[in-house]
Amino acid sequence: MTHTGSVPEVRAENQLPPRVTVLIVIRDQGLFVLWALLVVIFAIAARPHFLTTATGISILNTAAISSIFAAGLGIGVMTGVLDLSVPGTAAVAAVAMGMIIRDGGPVWIGLVVGVLVGVAVGLINGWITVRGFDPLIATIGMLSVLSGLALVLSGGLDIAGLSSLDFLGTNRYLGIPGPVYVSIAVFALLTVMLKFTRAGMRLLAVGGNGEAARRVGIKVNNYRVLGFVISGVCAAIGGIVNASYIAIASPTASTSVIFQALTAVALAGVPFTGGRGSLPKVFVGGVVLATINAGLLIMGVQTYWATIATGVLLIGALVVDRSTNTSISKLLVTGRAGAGKDQA
Amino acid sequence: MTRSAALELDHVCVHYGFLKALDDVSIKVAPGEVVALLGDNGAGKSTLLKVMSGAHRPTSGTLHVKGETRSFRSPRDAAAAGVQMVYQDLALVDAMEISSNLTLGREPMKPGILGQLGFVDRRAMRREAQAELDALGVRTAPVTRPVEMLSGGQRQVVAIARAAARLGEQGVLLMDEPTAALGHEQTELVESLIAKLASRGVAIVVVTHNLPLAGAVSDRTIVLNRGRKVADVPTRDTDKDRIVGWITGASVQEDIA
Repeated sequence: MTHTGSVPEVRAENQLPPRVTVLIVIRDQGLFVLWALLVVIFAIAARPHFLTTATGISILNTAAISSIFAAGLGIGVMTGVLDLSVPGTAAVAAVAMGMIIRDGGPVWIGLVVGVLVGVAVGLINGWITVRGFDPLIATIGMLSVLSGLALVLSGGLDIAGLSSLDFLGTNRYLGIPGPVYVSIAVFALLTVMLKFTRAGMRLLAVGGNGEAARRVGIKVNNYRVLGFVISGVCAAIGGIVNASYIAIASPTASTSVIFQALTAVALAGVPFTGGRGSLPKVFVGGVVLATINAGLLIMGVQTYWATIATGVLLIGALVVDRSTNTSISKLLVTGRAGAGKDQA
Repeated sequence: MTRSAALELDHVCVHYGFLKALDDVSIKVAPGEVVALLGDNGAGKSTLLKVMSGAHRPTSGTLHVKGETRSFRSPRDAAAAGVQMVYQDLALVDAMEISSNLTLGREPMKPGILGQLGFVDRRAMRREAQAELDALGVRTAPVTRPVEMLSGGQRQVVAIARAAARLGEQGVLLMDEPTAALGHEQTELVESLIAKLASRGVAIVVVTHNLPLAGAVSDRTIVLNRGRKVADVPTRDTDKDRIVGWITGASVQEDIA
């Protein structure tokens, strides 16, 4: 990532000190190393069932669904808005879509309405937040409202038999399940937006230094709202895909998706101070979590351990990120190797 | 009163309740002139800067830019009139590269349909950024380097270049403590930049505590004390002791306008 990542391509002429370059590689590529390690460990510890195509596809599918939520939360974090209403949005979107399809409406209308739920929630979240209210508290409030709304709409009952959504859920194309394609499309679209468009650049600028963005004439509030809308739409798509996968629209908001998603975001090295981060890595973060869960499951370890492992990983990611970042700044400030030499 | 000044403040007062933060302050800055604005903490320097940059509206008094009477509602209005400010905190986006910071808010777009879809032209962005730095005659790091990896002096250069590129013809540049965080060598770099911009006809107001800096770069020295202008003299006609006297309030310039 050239721009959304904190450090763009390090070219020879940039003359960064070699130790800085090494630390940057550790910080930026650590996630891939971690994942490769996990695969090797589980390939041995959980043989012969781990290193199979079926397990691989299953991991990819699990990661795909949780990563859609993580994409939304990741964009929110980069833009400087933390949207905790995601599970509620997902539930309402799934229920609204489910009710339309159950009552004989066309599938595409159900899908459109589901996505529009995400847009609406994003606009409301944004509207509240730009009035100066804390996004954390506001979106927790929205989470409650939306969780209740999903139950009210559905009368508290699951909407089952959504087999007309199999094309998004369980159907496979070229051997790969539908959710993976949806997830890849979401990530591709958002990554292109962040890296190459003005809106993406300004979103990151607002997340990185809102005051600086305001001073150069950017309408900061519009971009905050946009961040919430993207987060809401991702949540809605996640809810729709999840409902399609299990063919049931459940009105129960599962708050655990936030923690999974935020862990994936943290593993990707996206700092919660905002303004930077690589979206494709968030997807890899989701894959790492799915790999741990699948590996431990196949090894026959109690699933409680997967939760503990996830938490340890999350804290470990923060520690590595912080220590490499402090070392880099220390080297740049005291060493002055690259920074001072090429100055006029 | 002539209206040829690049920036002119006419009997400006700012009251916060009963507190007079600025009391009948009039100043003029000509194109190409560098004015050092000095004063102790609380003397009214920041308030005056805010009035000039559009962040604060005066209680009374008027402001003219290039002879036209202006009433700024926001820093954006000031920028549109050709008044740019370099803030002490620089207001750069650390994670972004130099070129993105320099073009933020007026990004060059790709030609044709891609541009209409909102795609920025990165190459044009880097080209423009490089041209802006070249115009100032400074070589910093490559424009693709993120601002967070720059030294304090390089950051200051980027912030000045960003403001300078948005000035338009003979604008007004306001600088708040431009060398507060810099070492000796970097301070000299910033001093030469100020001189270069002034030679291009930019009117510059430098707010600082740094008397050597003020002496080195300014044509005229204005001193504020408790919201009043207590001195307004050509810098070469004065010396450090007199300036310190004005700043501390021990004395007032005899023939002050």
